[in-house]
Amino acid sequence: MPKQQRIRDPLHDIIDFNVDDVHLERVLWRVIQTRPFQRLRRVKQLGFSDFVYPGATHSRLLHSLGVFHTARYLMDVVRKYTHPFESAKADQALAAALVHDVGHGPFSHAFEDVGRRLGLKLADHELVSETLIRGGEIAAEFKELGSGFADDVADIVSGNGSSSIYSAVVSSQFDADRLDYMRRDRLMAGTEHSGIDFEWLIQNLEVADVAYGVDETSLGQVQTFVLGPKAIFAAEAYVLGLFQLYPTVYFHKATRGAEKIYVELLARAVTLVRDGSTKLTGLPASHPLVKFAKDPENIDCAIALDDTVIWGALSLMAEAKDQCLATLAKRLRDRRLYKCIDVRTCIAHEKGDAAASSPEADRVCADIRDEISAWSDPQTDSAPRALIDQQIRSPYKKITETKGPLDQINIRTDGGHLVDLAQRSKVVAELQAYKLFRVYHDGDDVEAKNKINQIIDARIKKWQQ
Amino acid sequence: MAAVEEARRAAAIVRDAGGRVVGRTRFQKMAFILEAAGLGSGFPFKYKHYGPYSEELSNASRTAAILGLLNETESPASWGGLFSTFEVDMPPDSTIPESRRRIAHETASADAVALELAATALFLFLARIAPSDAWSETGRRKPEKAANGRLDQARALYERIRQIQTPTPLPRLE
Repeated sequence: MPKQQRIRDPLHDIIDFNVDDVHLERVLWRVIQTRPFQRLRRVKQLGFSDFVYPGATHSRLLHSLGVFHTARYLMDVVRKYTHPFESAKADQALAAALVHDVGHGPFSHAFEDVGRRLGLKLADHELVSETLIRGGEIAAEFKELGSGFADDVADIVSGNGSSSIYSAVVSSQFDADRLDYMRRDRLMAGTEHSGIDFEWLIQNLEVADVAYGVDETSLGQVQTFVLGPKAIFAAEAYVLGLFQLYPTVYFHKATRGAEKIYVELLARAVTLVRDGSTKLTGLPASHPLVKFAKDPENIDCAIALDDTVIWGALSLMAEAKDQCLATLAKRLRDRRLYKCIDVRTCIAHEKGDAAASSPEADRVCADIRDEISAWSDPQTDSAPRALIDQQIRSPYKKITETKGPLDQINIRTDGGHLVDLAQRSKVVAELQAYKLFRVYHDGDDVEAKNKINQIIDARIKKWQQ
Repeated sequence: MAAVEEARRAAAIVRDAGGRVVGRTRFQKMAFILEAAGLGSGFPFKYKHYGPYSEELSNASRTAAILGLLNETESPASWGGLFSTFEVDMPPDSTIPESRRRIAHETASADAVALELAATALFLFLARIAPSDAWSETGRRKPEKAANGRLDQARALYERIRQIQTPTPLPRLE
């Protein structure tokens, strides 16, 4: 009986690694034991979502294992449709599925916002993932699978090299990442909507050639996953499910409000350290956040950060001499979030639901954003009086810069043609991009609340005239 | 930067390219090269597998369209995808450096794939990802796009752009 390593997972039940008979799985089991991978235990998949859904505390480690498990299902589809099946490429893609998230920083995407604002290269999870896969402990384990294996895996994770059906397992409209996180996030959050028919989708997945290009120039064809004609309704639910998760989970107003405070907090802390004012932060010079702020291009400093490091720092920063930092830290620690004004809801209230995502509403939002930003430009030592959140999401994942068949969900018709799901589903065809525009303010700052509402009301009134 | 100001800057890139830019890739890569040459509009760029890309520029062009500063129309490409055409109806700005206009025109009329390759090589060099072999690294990262002589086309395009005198001289990429 070959030795199995088994992990119990709330979503997939058993995720097994055949460490005796399958060379790849033996190596991947060791990759899981490395420090960079174990660090993912301390990075939550959904950041601050447990402020709203207390059960949503699952880690990126568990998600990564789930992506690997799902990738094996997808690879079975590839094996069925691809001749000759290239097992070396399959191994690279399965390994990429396991380590694709290894570079995520504390609170993932919110940390990237801090990086964008302050120009911190290693706040970018894609760059950190690539660096960790190409060198260090993970690369050392991968070496057993060939001298170029780590680089091949890194290329798949970062989207370099030839696109193929093997890389589609990691990045496509039906990649293992989305197929895991949609189901896992729903399960752990405890919501009952957004369910997908996973087994039926997998049963109906096929491989086909689709065209791709850059602007008006054709580049030929590439293999990707498509769905058979019996999976139209499952595909519809797959698209709609994500669309329901945006407003209810991923962009919940309290979760986003916490992220906004976190971004201000970290930006303030890093700026103080950079300015030579570490003593005002309440953090010791040896704290990982201080070390990262001083040496942000050092990969060791970057991976010393995780969610628990920041949670642990909150009680120290709450005692900071810098009042702005102390206030923000206390707010986050005690979940005393800013109040939210949803501008598009205000527009819907005044102009009707359809108007809230209209081009005129977009114009109104752009003006309001500028006016509020100009008004709330923070004073040196005070917390910002207004925090703005603006997002837009389309139903399909962006795969290329130019829109084409790779950027849509393709259904194979009974006649053997490929058509976009939107041509077969009226519901999907009617979907518009999800847009949000919110302004957050301190609930005790009545002046700020009144000013923000005054700006919003005045601009909406201007539209009515 | 304020949303309306960002939108104006995005539209100004199209204006300086002659009022019309075909393709999102051309638009993005043109803006990146202008940025690298010290003639840009302040948009930050990040490496994506389709080359240097600015989410901020993408958002700004969307806002510009909303504000009526720029018109984006989508047309079907012969290969089955959709390509965008960006147009503005703005008078030329005489204060704009001639070098900015020349780069914008050169890139607007370039082959989109060659331009993506050239911008990618430049990004890899400037970001110190491939400081000594930016072209070969570009070819390795984008084998299909670099095939059929397109990498040579990209080199030639880049050399033409590099001959234009700019506030920040564009580096030799060897």
